[in-house]
Amino acid sequence: MELARPSKRTNGAGVQVEDTQICVVMVGLPARGKSLIAQKAQRYLRWLSIDAKVFNVGNYRRSDTPHPTAEFFDTSNAEGERMRRAAAEAAVTDMLKWFREGGLIGILDATNSTKERRRWIKERMDKNGIETLYVESKCDDEDLIMSNILEVKTTSPDYVGQDPEEAAQDFRNRIRNYEKVYQTIDQDESDMTYLKIMDVGKQVIINRIQDYLQSRVVYYLMNLHIKPRSIWLSRHGESEYNLGGQIGGDADLSARGQEYAKLLPELVRKSVGDDRPLTVWTSTLKRTIQTARHLPKHYNQLQWKALDELDSGVCDGMTYAEIKEAYPEDFAARDDDKYNYRYRGGESYRDVVIRLEPIIMELERSEDILIVTHQAVLRCIYAYFMKKDQRSSPWLNVPLHTLIKLTPRAYGTVEEFTSSGISAVSTWRGQGSVAKHEDPTSATVSLGTAGDGEVAKA
Amino acid sequence: MRPSYFCDSLERKLCSRFEQDLAIHENEAIDWRGDLINAGNALRPELHDVLAKNSADRMALDGSTAEIAANSPRYRRRSSTFIDGVHDVPNENSSPMAPAQLYSTMSGRLFHSGRIAIVLVGLPARGKTHVSVSLCRYLQWLGVKTRVFHLGDYRRATMGPGVDVPDDYFFINASAASVMIRQKILKKCREDIYAWLNHENGQVAIYDAVNPLVNGRRSLAKEFAKHDVQTLFLESYVTDERILQENARSVKISSPDFVGMDPDEAAQLYLKRIDMKIPYFETMSEPDLNYVKMINAGERIQYNNVSFGYLSHRIVFYLMNLHIKSRHTFFARAGTSSQQDSYKLDAHLSSEGADYAKKMSDTLLAHREAEREALIAEGGSDAPLKPLTVWTSTRKRTVETAECLEELGFKVRQRSQMSQLNPGVCEKLSESAIRRLFPDEVSLHEKDPYHHRYPRAESYHDLAVRLEPIILELEREQNDLLIIAHESVLRVLYGYLMACDAMSIPTLKFPRNEIIEIIPASYQNEAKRIIIPGVADKIIPGSPEDIRIPVPPSGFVSPLSGMGTPAMHSGIGTPAEPVNSSLLMNATSATGLVGTYSEKPKVSSPPRKPENPLSRD
Repeated sequence: MELARPSKRTNGAGVQVEDTQICVVMVGLPARGKSLIAQKAQRYLRWLSIDAKVFNVGNYRRSDTPHPTAEFFDTSNAEGERMRRAAAEAAVTDMLKWFREGGLIGILDATNSTKERRRWIKERMDKNGIETLYVESKCDDEDLIMSNILEVKTTSPDYVGQDPEEAAQDFRNRIRNYEKVYQTIDQDESDMTYLKIMDVGKQVIINRIQDYLQSRVVYYLMNLHIKPRSIWLSRHGESEYNLGGQIGGDADLSARGQEYAKLLPELVRKSVGDDRPLTVWTSTLKRTIQTARHLPKHYNQLQWKALDELDSGVCDGMTYAEIKEAYPEDFAARDDDKYNYRYRGGESYRDVVIRLEPIIMELERSEDILIVTHQAVLRCIYAYFMKKDQRSSPWLNVPLHTLIKLTPRAYGTVEEFTSSGISAVSTWRGQGSVAKHEDPTSATVSLGTAGDGEVAKA
Repeated sequence: MRPSYFCDSLERKLCSRFEQDLAIHENEAIDWRGDLINAGNALRPELHDVLAKNSADRMALDGSTAEIAANSPRYRRRSSTFIDGVHDVPNENSSPMAPAQLYSTMSGRLFHSGRIAIVLVGLPARGKTHVSVSLCRYLQWLGVKTRVFHLGDYRRATMGPGVDVPDDYFFINASAASVMIRQKILKKCREDIYAWLNHENGQVAIYDAVNPLVNGRRSLAKEFAKHDVQTLFLESYVTDERILQENARSVKISSPDFVGMDPDEAAQLYLKRIDMKIPYFETMSEPDLNYVKMINAGERIQYNNVSFGYLSHRIVFYLMNLHIKSRHTFFARAGTSSQQDSYKLDAHLSSEGADYAKKMSDTLLAHREAEREALIAEGGSDAPLKPLTVWTSTRKRTVETAECLEELGFKVRQRSQMSQLNPGVCEKLSESAIRRLFPDEVSLHEKDPYHHRYPRAESYHDLAVRLEPIILELEREQNDLLIIAHESVLRVLYGYLMACDAMSIPTLKFPRNEIIEIIPASYQNEAKRIIIPGVADKIIPGSPEDIRIPVPPSGFVSPLSGMGTPAMHSGIGTPAEPVNSSLLMNATSATGLVGTYSEKPKVSSPPRKPENPLSRD
């Protein structure tokens, strides 16, 4: 996914990031959740506009050896050893090239199980002025390893088209070969920056954190949990401003919006499946509070200023036609780069993401939550969970009167949609358009258009 | 070679110093608290009663801090926002929510956690006090009701002034008499901890003591568990000799007793003395206890989590960013822009604003130079100045105010989170217009100026939540730091560093002709004012686009008034009064351009006006 970089045209200076570059080196035996951690960290950082990329050594190795057997990973197998070293070499070389092009956090996803290998990576990075942060996930919980093995044998490209039982057996042998040479991070490496997570987070060692960005990454990794849970998202019901095609404001719900608010408790109950209470977060604006007001009393409700709609500054309360009339250059600049454009005296999508960051941290550590918020904010939250890129996420069509359910799983987030059946105006707008209400085109990425109960995999 | 009697006398001084240190340099606090007591009749009749009552049965009013601390848990140490409030007992009636508190619960406890004792572990000179006070400040900011209990305070109170604990006090095979004293001291401290957790609605008690032995720690955790309190140990462990030396030198040997002595030698003796006094120390490795171990001031953090959740992650995140270097933080306003500017317009600096930017930069650089020279004159290090980093918001006025410094090669970073408070519908409205248009909102606002938000506006609380990542970066920053921002942002950041109570944050004043400097110290931070000479009077009070949100009725004690020389400053609440700056300039001409003075109440200060009953105390 492309990151949209700020430019002079987009009104106001961009946000400056630290000029440090970090190579995050995953360390650990197979089936310890390294790839999952790497993917999540990449998603979080890119969402915050910190350019991050995972380099999976396995993918490099697979280009030469698509379906290796466990023997390939035996250290006494000279040919296997040579090829695996070549794959690591190729990944590191590519990563350095990517750093030279301005990448900020490269994540090297491999076992990196020997001290020699880790020292080699550090030396390569040091030479290029890049910090290293080792993240070791050490786990001896047999059940957890087994469930990871089951996941891997069904999803790993190494075992495509093979008998699942044989694949699992081969994978266990592969782990055994790694175990023979595996060296955990210890005193010999006390000069290195590392995070060592043992026993599913029960014990943690954090060594030599060098800057705020590293501490942020470490904190994020510490907050991840693997308990099953879902997040429900809804826009507020249709508002009076929606009817008039005006943006911003703090209007009341329309009659149809009120209807949606009345139906919402039933929609939620059906989607949750039982009567367990949810925590409900709304913004501080009337339309989300009114939308959530019929939810059961035993739901815990919180208002967050950070969930308020993108602030459109001087354009607040105007229609798009009025904006084009009053600020033609701004209108064009926004369509040109919607993610970075900051309304005069208001916000850009980039600003919204920054203010949503504490919300994401809370969300990661929380369990079941229902969020009632606004179009732009919902686009940002959705982009985080579904890995939507910055160029397209501000143009997503998020229909009114639809409940979205997101369930994070190991290899992506599962989404489900429930339409209320209550009609509403469309607030989606195509590039360049000044229409009050406009229907999305066939090329528009729309949430939940395929109808109720649609299940898509990210 | 030095004559031996000299060594003896040094050692004796160190011994007595050691005892004082166990009460961790509260001597600073003693000085002015003594003053407060003496001035109490005139200033704070209600406080005087408390002090007199608590002290009467033990000793005369000699200003013994520990005695006061040990016996009057409700004693409030400060009378103004110009003193770091981290040791204050929160006043629940005035502000039920802390500055960055996201939500409140019926029990008053947050983060799905119950009551917690954070128990410090570590020998003296390991920075335990710094860690406990800093952590307390952060947790209070998040809304967790937290208080620090320094066992040293209790030790001193029990032994009486100048009396040392027995030599075998910390020994495993201590005499029966020593054990008795030990138990008496511990009992008093524990009682206060339980009182805080059980009857004062506290959630976290930070227990600052040596806690050197495994057995002691296990039984402590067991005892807390019996009272339904979870225990998280927090050890500061140092293997790096240089850090030890540095701590001993900078924090422990800064007494007049050692003026003219070789500081390295004094530090060595001091550390040796600790080893003799506390010969048994076992670092934490108990697998059954919850602990966070900071090694060499955060170089390495080990964390053993048996039963803790989010709050301990939060603490670890904070500790990752905490450092022990002394960094000065400066606050300055942005220059003014043209008259037509508004929150939404984001205009450029006016020529007056640019002139201010130049003067502010010159004043700051001259002040830093003067401070360094003063330090050298006192025999301090002649190392070059620490680098200075500048943070601004992304709004043009703040960015352009930093341009002079940027041209001189200082690093300037823009932070979008530091944009001013959004005034919403109140933008450009006069106070009377707001009162006329939104009478209901005004009455709500007056009830809670910190949390109330006008339609479409941000409250100070919203701003504090938005600034939370900035707070951690602020802790992390090792360079000296100048923050150029709107007054509303300065209020909130100042509120964090000086632990202001939420309700007083909206009333803090930062006139444009002053730079505020915050100097960290392990027991409490100190604030100083630096006057910028020659700033046009009309831009001092605030820029035209300032939010005219009605502030509570007059009479509130403003942070920049009230302290130091109270009579002179009272009334700065109407900042246009130029009297203060001229007086200050004369009084502090020693540093040339720059006027600074320390903000501690002095006995000689003329009595202050009686406090307004509406103010926070």
